[in-house]
Amino acid sequence: MCSANDIWHADATAPIQRITDDPNSPQLLRRLTLETFSWQMRNETSIQKALRSPRTAPRWMAALLALGATVTVEGEATEMAVAHLLERRTQGEVVALHIPTSGMVWGEACVRRTPADDPIVAVVATVALENGVVRQARLALTGVWAEPVRLASAGALLAGRLLDEATIHTIARAVENEVTPQGDFLGSAEYRRAMAAVLTRRALAQCMHFATGE
Amino acid sequence: MDEQERVTVVLNINGQTRVCTVARSERLLDTLRQASCFSVKFGCGSGDCGVCTVLLDGQPVRSCQVRTADVAGHTITTVEALATQDALHPLQRAFIETGAIQCGYCTPAQLLVAKALLDRNPDPTEEEIRQAISGVLCRCTGYVKIVQAIQRAAALLRGEKVGPFGPVTETWLPGHAPAELLGRYYRIAENGSPLPPLVISPPDMQPLRVVGTPQAKVDGVKLATGRPVFADDFNMEGMLYGALLTSPYAHARIKRIDPTKARALPGVHAVLTCQDLPRVKYTSGGQSYPQPLPYDQVSLDNKVRHVGDRVAVVAAETPELAQQALRLIEVEYEVLPHVLDPLEAMKDGAPIIHDEPDTEGIYDAAHNIVHHIEAEGGIPAAEAWAMADHVFEGEYRTSQQQHAHLEPHVCITYWDEDGRLVVRTSTQVPFHVRRILAPLIGLPVKRIRVIKPRIGGGFGNKQEMIIEDLCAHLTIATGRPVRMMYTRYQEFVSSRSRHPQIMRYKIGVTNDMRVVATELRLIGDTGAYGTHGLTVQMVGGQKGLTLYNAPHCKFICDVVYTNKPTPGAFRGYGSTQCHFGIETLMSEIADRMGWDVIEFKRKNWIKPGEEMVMSKALGEGREGFEQVVRSSGLEQCVQVGVEAMRWYEKRGNAEWRRGPGGAKRRGIGMSVMLHGSGIAGLDLGAATIKMNDDGSFNLLVGATDLGTGSDTILAQIAAEVLGVPVEDIIVYSSDTDFTPFDKGAYASSTTYISGGAVYKAALQVAEQIKAHAALMLGLESGEGMLLRDRQVIAPNGTRLTLEQVALSSLHQHHQHQIIASASHMSYECPPPFGAQFVELVVDTETGQVTVERVLMVADAGRVINPITASGQVEGGIQQALGFAHCEEMVYDELGRLLNPRLGPYHVYRANEMPDIQVIFVQTEEPTGPFGAKSIAELPLDGIAPAVADAIHDATGVWIRELPFTPERVWRALHPELAV
Repeated sequence: MCSANDIWHADATAPIQRITDDPNSPQLLRRLTLETFSWQMRNETSIQKALRSPRTAPRWMAALLALGATVTVEGEATEMAVAHLLERRTQGEVVALHIPTSGMVWGEACVRRTPADDPIVAVVATVALENGVVRQARLALTGVWAEPVRLASAGALLAGRLLDEATIHTIARAVENEVTPQGDFLGSAEYRRAMAAVLTRRALAQCMHFATGE
Repeated sequence: MDEQERVTVVLNINGQTRVCTVARSERLLDTLRQASCFSVKFGCGSGDCGVCTVLLDGQPVRSCQVRTADVAGHTITTVEALATQDALHPLQRAFIETGAIQCGYCTPAQLLVAKALLDRNPDPTEEEIRQAISGVLCRCTGYVKIVQAIQRAAALLRGEKVGPFGPVTETWLPGHAPAELLGRYYRIAENGSPLPPLVISPPDMQPLRVVGTPQAKVDGVKLATGRPVFADDFNMEGMLYGALLTSPYAHARIKRIDPTKARALPGVHAVLTCQDLPRVKYTSGGQSYPQPLPYDQVSLDNKVRHVGDRVAVVAAETPELAQQALRLIEVEYEVLPHVLDPLEAMKDGAPIIHDEPDTEGIYDAAHNIVHHIEAEGGIPAAEAWAMADHVFEGEYRTSQQQHAHLEPHVCITYWDEDGRLVVRTSTQVPFHVRRILAPLIGLPVKRIRVIKPRIGGGFGNKQEMIIEDLCAHLTIATGRPVRMMYTRYQEFVSSRSRHPQIMRYKIGVTNDMRVVATELRLIGDTGAYGTHGLTVQMVGGQKGLTLYNAPHCKFICDVVYTNKPTPGAFRGYGSTQCHFGIETLMSEIADRMGWDVIEFKRKNWIKPGEEMVMSKALGEGREGFEQVVRSSGLEQCVQVGVEAMRWYEKRGNAEWRRGPGGAKRRGIGMSVMLHGSGIAGLDLGAATIKMNDDGSFNLLVGATDLGTGSDTILAQIAAEVLGVPVEDIIVYSSDTDFTPFDKGAYASSTTYISGGAVYKAALQVAEQIKAHAALMLGLESGEGMLLRDRQVIAPNGTRLTLEQVALSSLHQHHQHQIIASASHMSYECPPPFGAQFVELVVDTETGQVTVERVLMVADAGRVINPITASGQVEGGIQQALGFAHCEEMVYDELGRLLNPRLGPYHVYRANEMPDIQVIFVQTEEPTGPFGAKSIAELPLDGIAPAVADAIHDATGVWIRELPFTPERVWRALHPELAV
């Protein structure tokens, strides 16, 4: 594990526990790693294995998507976005994980049956701001498709706007309209769609508060 | 890569180098158990429970998720290595001292995780401890005492001095209220969290020497050291592995079943189907003779009635071969229409689940109604309802909850050297199993011996004969020892669960808050088979109607078959469901009438001296007996709870309710409850006490400690009478060859019934000791002698040690064995009482409910052991929270369970438990041993209605269906949304 040029790098063959042990790992990732994986899982599971099984820890994957994480894959010439792993664009072995660490604020929200249950729907947002205006934003959700997903359109919609209540409301509505969840015993499609909006609003509101220091 | 390829690996296991040849796919769990590290337990095989945790190079991993071949050259530590030759590890000591061990099945994993934590962080916070152990489920303790044990061990390892662990005890002064004692308690306890229990005694209660003290569990050391004490910790030469083929269909007839290919597989020794076994009708519920009809099961049938129903069994030389053989059994099914909803099942034209001609005793098979019950008590209905100024009704629904005990059902059967069949099984009811099993396998009872080793949790699910008959059939067919263990999937679909119920309560009240009439119409869903269907609903009705004991009570019930996995006995036994209905409706009435909910309940709850209106009409599967409440501390429980929670400062307080801000709202709720202590006029316990040369005693009991600590409290009762410390009582339970009869562990009966038997046997032994001492001392009789401090003391002050008496009686004078057996049965079933209080937060935008604090104040009579008793409450609260909040077996339209794993099903983990506090308000029950009543089931009864009440306090919405999942709450908060 090391940090250089505002990028945090991790050996993907290392156990996930290294993320929580490394004080330089991105705070959001460290926190969701602790919340998502038991200690035993963190010791047993390599980062590369977790990346290859996104349904095991969807909120953790969503954090990586929102953080703009990339991976180095054996046999591939360039680093790839984590989203490409979800799309199964490569079968090569993941050897390293890279996460930008500067200039972003983040927020996350989820709903679950109990405080340590797997979330029914979760939203992770990261936003880069310049003078209160969104320069770049990434929004990732779980529980609204079969696998965690980054909503590129919502992020694009945010870019160039002031991050304020009105914008957040607009984005939440856009997310609600965009997602097409399948219902299951934890939550119907209607519920999940509604939660996508509520939790998007909360995650972005956290970003706003984070940015304004409130 | 060939997963079956054999590879040789070198491991360092507990400091010893081991060379193992294993399949590349073999789990470390299996390798370690084969290496006799029996502390490493199987719980689920999917990584959800964590009870297989070991340390790999000092770090915790789940051994079911790690392949042995992948850890070659590494160091593995199991609990077997924790203690030295001379001393337990401080963690092991602390676990024993604090009562952190109940069944002990998860204990090795908890200990190892705790060790790894303290190795890297010698002074962890409570939150860090909870986070660390969150990967290991415990279904018994509610994690409270595990946290306390780790805190205590950490202090010991840091070199700090720690005092004895025990409850805070208080006695209230005459003329004062017990609630006045709370200030001192919270000051005493303010240095630490979680809080120890508080035991409040009435002014006239005399303290005893052993009873009432926090004795360590008598089985604590062997459980803390991971010794091979569970049913599966046992290898036999030539043992075969049994496996069960289950139905993929909710309802189907087996048209053809062909085991030829399976039988031809080398290493397979038996394949049994319905074609191979005699059709002997039985019912699997472990209850006293005669078990209630209908006998609607056979060991293997030509029809399946739920997904997970039995189809065939095999015995093979390895578990893998057994699974392979199952896949080779050809089954052709005629799929039949099925029905999952009990209301649909009762309609004309519904699929008939039990259409077989040889089942007797079904009330209306054509409508799937297995039992119809009508009972009433008190004054005539017309008279009672005429007194009511208002009539309120409410329909309440509860879900199907799984026990989720961490040790699956497991059984080993074998022929002994005398040609008798030995059944070593994880059961709560060894004597019932022996009796029920005998006709199924064609052996007389005298040729069957049932041994109950330690049990890794049961909670009612092992009050049933689930696999013993199948395992026995395989041993009979092969002549070999056979071991069968359920998979976690089979625990969900092929064992038992809590009956889902639909309750319609009707309550008549007067303008001055009096409840004058109560009616309960209940539909109990008993799934595919009857088993406990009759008795669970009757107990539910009896408890649900007795709590407020209206002048007139009526109970109308249909117990209905559906094509779902069969519910059975589950801690709470119908009372848990029916308390949700009655207590929620009572709170709703108070709300609608503008009454103080506590005053309303207080005015109406049953009080000492009152006859229980329904106790005669509703026994358990039969008519009961007239009974009067002789002891009740309910008033004091509520007073204490109100004070401890600062109820009147919070309830309905808009500012407090807004606490967390945003869309979140706080709420506080409460409920009261009662339960029973055994089954009146039915439950029998017996005990034998035998004196040894050194003045110690063997206590032989058929009672089955399934982790509750019953062996310990029975030893305390004997020790109190015999004037010895608990360590002088050697408890053995249970073995049908060597221990006297006991109905088993259920119905909250052990302390009261089995304890009553131990008390009587101890008194008889004490009399024999006194008589022999009198002979030795040349006195006329033993009258007036005392047994104390391992001595018998004559009125004139002369003393003999018990060892002297024992040696004399066995070897010297008037030689005889000092020994006594006694039985106990009671026509009374004294209710323990309690009050439960809950604080929670409702997220009004998502519907998520987060329970933050739970307080239970309980009257269990005189508490025999405050540590084991409070552990019962804490663990019960965890299960009750699951019932209220998240646990629910959910099916698709074909009757397939959607969440048959501990992860998606979700059992509360250590890092999400609310703050739990336990307070006992002691009373003296005149019919109980030393004044004791029960405690085990009571904590299950009030959490759901208290949570409902608190959600209403937070949001103004009443929710009448469990569990309170986010979407269910969200929809209740948004009634404009269509379902």
